[in-house]
Amino acid sequence: MSFFFQELVNGVTTGALYSLVALGFSMVYGVLKLLNFAHGDLYMVGAYIGFFVIQWFGGAAHLTIPVPLLLLIMFVLAAGVVGGLGVAMERFAYRPLRDAPRIAPLITAIGISFFLESAALLLFGAQYRVYNTAEFISLSSGIQIGSVTIDSVQIMVLVLGIALMAGLRLLVNRTKLGKQMRAVAADREAAEMLGINVNFVITVTFFLGSALAGVAGVMGGLLFNQVTSTIGFIAGLKAFTAAVVGGIGSIPGAMLGGLLIGLAESFVTGYISSTYTNLLVFGLLIVVMLVRPSGLLGQAQLQKV
Amino acid sequence: MSEANQGQSVSAGPGEAVLELDQLSLSFGGLKALSGLDLTVRDREVISVIGPNGAGKTTVFNVITGVYEPSSGDVRFAGQSIAGRAPHVIARAGIARTFQTLRLFMNMSVIENVMAATYGHTKAMPWESVLRLPRARREEREVRTLAEEVLSFFGQRLAGYRWDQPAYSLSYANRRRLEIARALASRPRVLLLDEPAAGMNPAETHEVTELIGRLRDERGVAILVIEHDMHVVAGCSDRVVALDHGVKIAEGGFDQVASHPAVVEAYMGRHPEDLAEAE
Amino acid sequence: MSVDQRGAQEPQGPQVGADEWVARQAHRREYLPSWLGRAQRASERIGWWPRLALAGLAGAVLPSFGLGGFQLQVGIDALVIALLAVGLNIVVGWAGLLDLGFIAFFGFGAYGFALLSSAQIGSAGIHLQAWLSIPIVMVGAAILGLGVGLPSRRLIGDYLAIVTLFLGEAFVEFTNNVAPSKLGGPNGITSIDPIRAFGFQLTTNPGYYYLLVIVLVVTMAVLRLLENSRTGRAWRAVREDPLAAAAMTIPVNRVKLSAFACGAMVAALAGTIYAAQQANVFPTDFDTPILILIYAGLVLGGAGSIAGAATGALVVMVIYDGLLRSPAEAGYLFYGLVLLTVLVKLRPWRRLGVVLAATIAFGFAARAIARAASASAVAGGPGSSGWIARAVRDWVIVPANATVAGNFGFVALICLLIALVQVSSRWRTILLPPTLYLASFVWETRLVTEPSVTRQLMIGAILIVMMNARPQGLLGQRRVEVPA
Repeated sequence: MSFFFQELVNGVTTGALYSLVALGFSMVYGVLKLLNFAHGDLYMVGAYIGFFVIQWFGGAAHLTIPVPLLLLIMFVLAAGVVGGLGVAMERFAYRPLRDAPRIAPLITAIGISFFLESAALLLFGAQYRVYNTAEFISLSSGIQIGSVTIDSVQIMVLVLGIALMAGLRLLVNRTKLGKQMRAVAADREAAEMLGINVNFVITVTFFLGSALAGVAGVMGGLLFNQVTSTIGFIAGLKAFTAAVVGGIGSIPGAMLGGLLIGLAESFVTGYISSTYTNLLVFGLLIVVMLVRPSGLLGQAQLQKV
Repeated sequence: MSEANQGQSVSAGPGEAVLELDQLSLSFGGLKALSGLDLTVRDREVISVIGPNGAGKTTVFNVITGVYEPSSGDVRFAGQSIAGRAPHVIARAGIARTFQTLRLFMNMSVIENVMAATYGHTKAMPWESVLRLPRARREEREVRTLAEEVLSFFGQRLAGYRWDQPAYSLSYANRRRLEIARALASRPRVLLLDEPAAGMNPAETHEVTELIGRLRDERGVAILVIEHDMHVVAGCSDRVVALDHGVKIAEGGFDQVASHPAVVEAYMGRHPEDLAEAE
Repeated sequence: MSVDQRGAQEPQGPQVGADEWVARQAHRREYLPSWLGRAQRASERIGWWPRLALAGLAGAVLPSFGLGGFQLQVGIDALVIALLAVGLNIVVGWAGLLDLGFIAFFGFGAYGFALLSSAQIGSAGIHLQAWLSIPIVMVGAAILGLGVGLPSRRLIGDYLAIVTLFLGEAFVEFTNNVAPSKLGGPNGITSIDPIRAFGFQLTTNPGYYYLLVIVLVVTMAVLRLLENSRTGRAWRAVREDPLAAAAMTIPVNRVKLSAFACGAMVAALAGTIYAAQQANVFPTDFDTPILILIYAGLVLGGAGSIAGAATGALVVMVIYDGLLRSPAEAGYLFYGLVLLTVLVKLRPWRRLGVVLAATIAFGFAARAIARAASASAVAGGPGSSGWIARAVRDWVIVPANATVAGNFGFVALICLLIALVQVSSRWRTILLPPTLYLASFVWETRLVTEPSVTRQLMIGAILIVMMNARPQGLLGQRRVEVPA
């Protein structure tokens, strides 16, 4: 039974991570109706940034600054740089294709994804970069409930993840900017005609979504330790699954989807075997797509004739 | 190919009932798009459907052609119920339509647009086409001939060199004509025209009115026309049906319907004093 | 003016505002710019079938110009990808279904052939002859294609892309993890029989090359016949407007399924020949990077055009594999492409000359300054070899520690390229020489020394640039999309 709860904790933690990536992905889809295939690679860039910050401050074993400060710098820098990268992507690759048929930005996104992965390979090399989190955040710190351990990294991921999601929810539902985002997502032309600066809203959405992916990348590095140019692809696939299962374009949906995927992964790995994890997650996606294409919390698309 | 009215080029007046709407109703959630609509369309008859925007006119077309399934009531074509059938099955049976917002195959050539509509009436399988078997070659010849004949109905407009040009290169009026030609290629017995004169100048509108009459007389089709332009309605209709909020409010000859108080109110609104009186 | 008079006017040559002449000349906008367009128009006068015959002949004759072993393998790989691109064209270019799992059909074909023509199954294995196994595998692929296409009934555009992407990934996972004794797991299936039929056996690379040329030509011919048949028209109509197509008697779902099935069959055919030639198959042979290669070829050549798909794929593969050869040849490719682009896009000739001269001058000046500043800044030698290296040695800066500088240069180059696209024409002329120089710098310090990464960068760049600059590809037709 304690094994169940341990897997539950693990699942919720990784779920929070997937939720963050899925959120950004869903937000971008909401305003642009674009599946940004390169979103997973933003996660990868974030992870690399976190790694290089650690190296800059002396490396995992010999840090020159206190750990909380290190973490702060890692997260802020990753959010900023990856957010900026996302904005650049939108500005230079997707904006010219705003009114093109859907296939054009989709293929461009695939191209950007491939390009980012190759660029990472060129700039950072093929070897795995290791965070060595255990060196600066002791594994024994954390809380223990019965025989279930929740270590500090997991706690931090959960707390930060929930905080970010709550903050995003607040932003979208309670602020004027959030209202503008929802308006643009509902009908871009109408929003423009009502005086909303659509380009600005889209830029902000991209920045926020990408920043979330960057932060998730650092979290991923801290949790899973290894960083290489291909982690973005897998993370992206899982984020797609989470976003689509929860209902693409829906923010609570992305959160729910991420949680479900994290839990599914955790339990499958724990109870069956890790070899079938990916297959079963894909299977979950196919089933949801066939039974309820708009996802669990999404809205069905209406077509006007 | 289907046994539509190929040989009847004599305007012999309306024939037997070919399309019947029987207490047709359609609701989207709480919104009643159509309520208890009754209509009978006879062979070689032109019926105009008028009404303010949102009255449900295009919805009627969508239900007839299978885009929507009615919530209650029936649609019968040549005696058979077609309510809820798939759109391509209904089209094959002999009901063709044009769209309010042009839906041509833009990147295909003019003649390909027309030839594409013959799909349901041909049977050649892919391997037959590849191996150039006799049936495939024969069907291809027949389809080509039919397309050329249908396009020639419009005179010089869609003639000769235009056949191989992409549809997007046509002018607006020609695009509308092409859409009608495409609909004709599927050998319909009933033709549904959704605002065929939209966006046209008076000369072109006059052409459209004449065209509808010619379609009825030369090709023997029954025609349902949605139109806002009363010149067209007056010029070509055998009967006029007025809808408002999904309900039929008048039916009869043009003069009869145009002066019907319910129709006038639907288009022009009620006099403020009458409105206050009714409160 | 009466209505009839207007319609019966004969076109009398260019008349501003009269749509007759414009309509007749409209096709001239479709061609590539400058002399490339003239070449296109000239080739079109020949006719499609003669062009196919000529291309096939050229392909068949090519080895006799002394293609070595490695080059022949490149040719074989290129032909396989070309066959795949032509098959993908059915699904993406004609029916408009974004199938990102297409590679799974290729894998199915390869694994199917492998299972039927090796010692893998049973004690002694099944060793069917090719004339039996290939059709069986193709039919199986068609059935699989129908299965994959079934979800497409309820999925529009983006959703279909995701689902097919996952199915493609699922194939790799499946062959990697499931039934390792039968499917070989990560080690794949080895010792696959060559193609055997009626006493003949294909065991040499030249043999497979010729077989592929024949198969590609025949497939293109078959597809051309299909393109202008009722099936081809139905596919294209479904892409244009599924709702209107249904209203015009076309059974949209059935037509989509047939597109999936046909595409799957072509991919499986390519898979069988690939498996026979390689004599072994591994799960990683059918992973997403290969799919992206096929898409790059299709996008470069032009989706919707058979010739475009094949040509684009051949070009992409030759460059892709060409970059793995000696640095000298890679250098020809790189500098050649850059110069070609500048030559085609930069007008008038005077401007072109000024830019080239300025680039050269800028280079010498920059190098002199760098050498004056620090000796180690120019201590390294260019990564290229051959006469290119000799030519640029005194021109391009290559520091002793090339890697780090090159990396920064790479990022700077991307930023500059983005800036180039955004600015006005005058600034563009000013920024061009430093950009060209920086490109050479990055090439010599980093790109030429890591060919396997560079070629991937190139693929990504092709996809991004083509979609932005010329979405219809080199040989495709410009499409007009009406917002739904």
